[in-house]
Amino acid sequence: MTDYDVTIIGAGNGGLTAAATLAKAGLKVLLLERHNVPGGCATSFRRGRFEFEVALHQLSGMGTEEKPGPLRVLLQDLGVTKKIEFVEMEHLYRVTFLNMLDITLKADRSEVVKELQHRFPSERAAIVKFFDLVYAFSIQRIGVVHMGDPEASKEKYPLYFKYALKSSQEVLDEFFDDPLLKAIVATYWGYMGLPPRLLSFSNLALLLFAYIEFKPFHIKGGSQALSNALVDTFLENGGEVRFNCGAKKIVVKDGKVQGVITEDGDEIRTHWVVSNAGLLTTYIDLIDGEHVPEEQLKILAGRTIGTSFFTIFAGLDCEPSEVGITETTNFVCSSIDFDRAFSLAKTLETPQTVLLTCYDVSDPDFSPPGTCQTAIVTLQYAQPWLHIPPSQYADMKYRYAEGMLDLVESLFPDFRNHIEEIEVASPLTHMRFLGHLGGTAYGFDQYEKDSRLFIAPGSSIKGLYFAGAWVAGGGFQPTLASGKSAARQILKEFGSG
Amino acid sequence: MKTYDYKKDIEGYAEVQKEIETCRKYGIDYTTEKGKLAQIINRLHPPKLWLKVSEIREESPSTTTFRLVSQDNYLPPFQAGQYISLSVEIGRVRTSRPYSISSPPNQIGFYDITVRRVENGFVSSYLLDKVKVGDTFETSSPLGYFYYNPLFHGNDLVFLAGGSGITPFMSMIREVTDRGLKRRLHLIYGSQFLDDVIFHEELTYREKYHDNFTYTLVISNPPQGYKGPRGFITADLIRDTVDDIVSKTFYICGPEEMYDFCLPELEKLEIPKRKIRKELIGPPKDVSKDPGWPKDVSPDAEFRVKVIGKKVITARAGEPLIISLERGGIGMPAPCRSGACSLCRIKLLRGKVFQPKDVLLRKSDRQFGYIHACLAYPLKDLEIMI
Repeated sequence: MTDYDVTIIGAGNGGLTAAATLAKAGLKVLLLERHNVPGGCATSFRRGRFEFEVALHQLSGMGTEEKPGPLRVLLQDLGVTKKIEFVEMEHLYRVTFLNMLDITLKADRSEVVKELQHRFPSERAAIVKFFDLVYAFSIQRIGVVHMGDPEASKEKYPLYFKYALKSSQEVLDEFFDDPLLKAIVATYWGYMGLPPRLLSFSNLALLLFAYIEFKPFHIKGGSQALSNALVDTFLENGGEVRFNCGAKKIVVKDGKVQGVITEDGDEIRTHWVVSNAGLLTTYIDLIDGEHVPEEQLKILAGRTIGTSFFTIFAGLDCEPSEVGITETTNFVCSSIDFDRAFSLAKTLETPQTVLLTCYDVSDPDFSPPGTCQTAIVTLQYAQPWLHIPPSQYADMKYRYAEGMLDLVESLFPDFRNHIEEIEVASPLTHMRFLGHLGGTAYGFDQYEKDSRLFIAPGSSIKGLYFAGAWVAGGGFQPTLASGKSAARQILKEFGSG
Repeated sequence: MKTYDYKKDIEGYAEVQKEIETCRKYGIDYTTEKGKLAQIINRLHPPKLWLKVSEIREESPSTTTFRLVSQDNYLPPFQAGQYISLSVEIGRVRTSRPYSISSPPNQIGFYDITVRRVENGFVSSYLLDKVKVGDTFETSSPLGYFYYNPLFHGNDLVFLAGGSGITPFMSMIREVTDRGLKRRLHLIYGSQFLDDVIFHEELTYREKYHDNFTYTLVISNPPQGYKGPRGFITADLIRDTVDDIVSKTFYICGPEEMYDFCLPELEKLEIPKRKIRKELIGPPKDVSKDPGWPKDVSPDAEFRVKVIGKKVITARAGEPLIISLERGGIGMPAPCRSGACSLCRIKLLRGKVFQPKDVLLRKSDRQFGYIHACLAYPLKDLEIMI
């Protein structure tokens, strides 16, 4: 029997920032991780000469040293910015609608507006107005939701109160006529896992605002460097980590956390638990049913598991330019019908939209000289993969990947001839490594009805907190912030207890 | 709570509230998903398997095949060329070794592993001398990346095998010929002695009955009067036996020396890196011969290794750290034992280790002091965290 103030289950982004923050504050913290490598999604793996980045495409919220964004502040506080290097990307993205349009947007508000105006001269005025709204709305949203202004009101934040619950499509339709223009502006929908019709304007606006205002970034050494740096801070501050050691059970008595039992059968007494294992795993697998509040299950029942991905990691034996890759972030779409693209994510048909990220464009050291690596990803729900007989699974993976490579080759024709290493990950791969139902990396589907506006974070079990995508939404910035915020609440209780 | 009141003024708030109610009313009972994830994953990648030896077959004077069957009637699928990590307990030492599966994936009832006796081999001697039908083993599920990948390998493959390196190829050859796949295979098999060629009869037979499989045997130590190809697998030999070299993807698997010899030969043929697939090699036979090995440390030097939270053990410089740990009773998963899979990644807190350049470390692992215990050699007293 050992005693810790806090036990953290899972060394994903949220678990790691929670662990580092709490250890730094002087608490006795144990971090449990069932893998031997920390990071959850924020990890990498080696094949041949390449180290493939698993999850990070564009880090949001960083900002520059002179004008730091919220994520940079968070990482500075944890001493992480001294340990690793960040690489700024010049562009938001290149988006190609095959046989229709090809456009690259700079990560700069006036440049974005200028480029869009140049392409869509008849909608010049609307373009300016739209980005005015994106900015003004986002600032109001930050005031209401993120800063929690106690005086929030319709009068003080009129744009927020008008647009917060509108869908992205509604707002795009309000401003623009040309469907191509709408599609270009909504290209980031994939980062939220919902097409513009289902994605709240609130989330699309914040995405655009965060990437334009604080610039997209990448990390030298990839997201594993971030995970390693957070573990480093945790250890420096006296934290204890057990790798290859998952949690089997969270012990709850009288509505309060008592301890954790590890997979090895070790019983740990602890006052607080931060679960980075996901809401479903925590409530369904880790806590005995009798201790899970009925109300909690009802809330869960109304939500649906979010998308997973199908990812191709390809190492090429040439510089990016040799196959025509000139941008880090490339969305390749065979259609502007994003609703259809989204519905295909629930089938095994060839996707209509893929994102190809080539890190070497922004960071030539990312792969060995004369090579480059790409991550090609599309949204995929796990469902169709659950019905494939195990013996046919590998063939299905290859077949699906061929379809994606065909799409890639319609823009970068010589791509296949340069593949030196390739690895393919299906939703089941993500399920295996992340331990999340549905293989989701985003937690639940990110509908506005499931946002913090309607569901308060935290749990009704005393001492139990959550970190990660299931409570914060998907992506690096939200998950990293979620661990910090769980830690802050524990510190508040610790201080008053 | 009072502070939440402002939300009601957001346009559309009441409608969303109604939607939430509906969603919850007709929602999903997630309690039925308890244990589901493990069930799904275990069909493909169970963390462990418990297998029983159902048959033992001598393949050649030095080599034996063990047929392993599942005790619960289920074996996960694999891709021809993959290996299982077989755990053994010999004396009081628990260790593991990777063995390629030599049976094809279309045989779903068993995995064959084919083991050649290694001189002074701790595990191979045990398997060949002690194991009998009915014995059971804990193994990993199939692992590794040495398999056919249709996304970029093409349909023309040349296999360069040396000695017991034939085993993953055997699985591939059996699969392609059994299932009548279109892939064309050419095996160039280097063996030391003619009377100890593993699978020779079967390979000859399969070549005879399948147009898409060619078998070239190369004997390095041939008996007098031997007429077939002799020596090593050279660029000339490849040029003489393989047509249209540029269209081929080469796979290589064999002992350490074979890589040292054959890879430069492939370079002479100007085969690009992307067309050469290499199976993992395992730890070097004598690490002190590595050009990077520090002259001032004898491979026989012994160091103290403090394992945080566990104990202090002794480790020999010339031996992979994982072996010293296992001997000291400290185990961890180490399936590939070639520095690649990173499951034995541990943190070096103090001291210094030698790591051959083949070890597939992540960049940031190098920066933050992580090492792969299966391919790390102590050069000083160490302190490590597992």
